[in-house]
Amino acid sequence: MSLRSAVAHRNLLYLFTLKELRTRYRGSILGWAWSLLNPISQMIIFSIIFLKIFGGVAPRASASGIQNFPLYFLSGLLPFQFFVISVSASIGSVQGGASLIKKVAFPHEHLVLSIMLAQLVTVCIELLVLSASFLLFGHFMFQWLIPMAALLVLISLFTTGVALALSAANVFFHDINYLWGIVSQILFYASPIIWVIGQVESPVINKYAPWGPTGNFVDASHKILYENVFPSLAQWGYIAAWAAVAFVLGAWFFNRLSPRFAEEI
Amino acid sequence: MPDQRSTGIALRVDNVTKTFRIHHERASSLKQFIATGGRNRYEDFYALRDVSFEVGEGEAVGIIGHNGSGKSTLLKCMAQILTPNAGKIHVNKKMAALLELGAGFHQELSGRDNVFLNASILGMGRKEIANRFDEVVEFSGLGDFIDTPVKTYSSGMYIRLAFAVAINVDPELLLIDEILAVGDVTFQKKCMEKFVDFRTQGRTLVLVTHDGHTVREFCDRAIWLDHGVVRRDGDPADVVDEYTETMLGAETTEGAESSRRGDGRIRITSTELLVGGVPVDRFRSSDDVTVRMHYRATEPVPKPVFAVSIASLNGATVTAPSSRDAGDVPDSIEGSGYVDVRFEKIPLIPSRYVLHTEISGWDRQHIYDHVQNAQTFDVIAGETNETHGLVTMHPSWSRHGN
Repeated sequence: MSLRSAVAHRNLLYLFTLKELRTRYRGSILGWAWSLLNPISQMIIFSIIFLKIFGGVAPRASASGIQNFPLYFLSGLLPFQFFVISVSASIGSVQGGASLIKKVAFPHEHLVLSIMLAQLVTVCIELLVLSASFLLFGHFMFQWLIPMAALLVLISLFTTGVALALSAANVFFHDINYLWGIVSQILFYASPIIWVIGQVESPVINKYAPWGPTGNFVDASHKILYENVFPSLAQWGYIAAWAAVAFVLGAWFFNRLSPRFAEEI
Repeated sequence: MPDQRSTGIALRVDNVTKTFRIHHERASSLKQFIATGGRNRYEDFYALRDVSFEVGEGEAVGIIGHNGSGKSTLLKCMAQILTPNAGKIHVNKKMAALLELGAGFHQELSGRDNVFLNASILGMGRKEIANRFDEVVEFSGLGDFIDTPVKTYSSGMYIRLAFAVAINVDPELLLIDEILAVGDVTFQKKCMEKFVDFRTQGRTLVLVTHDGHTVREFCDRAIWLDHGVVRRDGDPADVVDEYTETMLGAETTEGAESSRRGDGRIRITSTELLVGGVPVDRFRSSDDVTVRMHYRATEPVPKPVFAVSIASLNGATVTAPSSRDAGDVPDSIEGSGYVDVRFEKIPLIPSRYVLHTEISGWDRQHIYDHVQNAQTFDVIAGETNETHGLVTMHPSWSRHGN
């Protein structure tokens, strides 16, 4: 589908997103609270593991002066989870839209983009709740949500690229989501989310963690939200490069395969 | 004149070829794909081969063909759902394709939300939908149900809403699959009326179906697609007739199994349909047709009544004359021979029928031999073009007034 028809169908994208948001938690009593419950439960589990079992020490942020592992954990987890959940949900989205794809002509990428947008709404709410939690510990950092928004744009581009590529591949190979389960686990532990750069004994890991495909934005997110430090321009450029490459490749790959969806699905 | 030609075209199909891959051992997982070394054996199947035609503005074109003729593929290519391997399709008008009513309805969402979602899937803008919303609800007749989730709808309500949305998309060029076949008779009628409206407004219509009647009744041009190529393109009456004849020719041997009952003292050994003395299994409406029943009686049978019955495929008896009604019952017969029943200018309308034959006693209660489904036969269009009901009464029309 051309960019023009994608724009012409922007109303469809809006409604797909709305549908995504409305149906996600329908039928559960806790409704929207579920989206917060998941990171909170993870935070509790990993805080116990990190602080009590492994006897870790929460990093002291030089600029903000804060030292609190749960907040550190969430600062990295939220953007990472946005990435992983968006991609997981997207992988089956083209396959899931089979009945539509076979019967109607519309820009197929809207199936993926609507999930991205719905997840973006979720992560924004989560970040607001996180900022409120900082306030609970006596630290005001709402102004840092502005650079965080810029970072989120780059993460979204990166995520969209990966999601487009994998959702298209999943039409042809149905085991992509299993593969993704493994890859996302590796990325989770390879990124400084439940561990702290500088506290690991291996100098190689300390050095390269901020350069990983997800480590780069997790680290930047720590800097912005937890340490209240503006990442270096080099780091911004590096993250933007990942985002641009992933987005362009993903969109190219998706557009190449999408004319075959209707017959292969 | 060239100008008029180019502006008068709503849709142009230009040498379109579409193949599908028939996979022999399809790797459907990455694991298999790697295990087989990335080899993927397949054959190309030609669904459409070099198909070309133009649809003029305001035309109603019916595309007919048997199952697997490629007509659905063609429709999907025109609707831009499938991409042809070669050739191009030019659409010059605002197009909507109805391949399935309610494609994309979401069970959890209310009727209202689904109207917006479905209409925008069909390509409408938000304002446009808002403007037409009341009309859609009214046409659907759903009233207050519009705000309950569609999963609570009956199938009738579901289809009514879907159709109401589809018809209000307001395209200049409408592609329709055989969706007219769904729903009850009243609903089908409502659809038909809406489509007739649509046509009188000078809009363009492309209808894909295997049903010749619809095309004949409804279109001003028919395209017959056979194994992916255009076999005929022209006047619907001619094209549909030829199509029907070919289709029937291909399946004459098919038909319901015949069964018999009775005490067998006299047997119907065979039944024939004759037109001009020649046995046939299909003929034209208004032909002179003779039903010939051969019989053999091994002993003298008193007062045998011969009867035939012609019924439509859904079981309705069209006519069931007997030799008793005609006052022609011998006191007794023995040996073999045949009985003819002649129908002059048979008034059946084009369709498929079954013939039952019977020999019974005078009281019609005692059955000597009854052959259910003695023969299946087809009537094709002759003097009449009527398509509804069972028989034609050869009506003549006149109009009086200013």
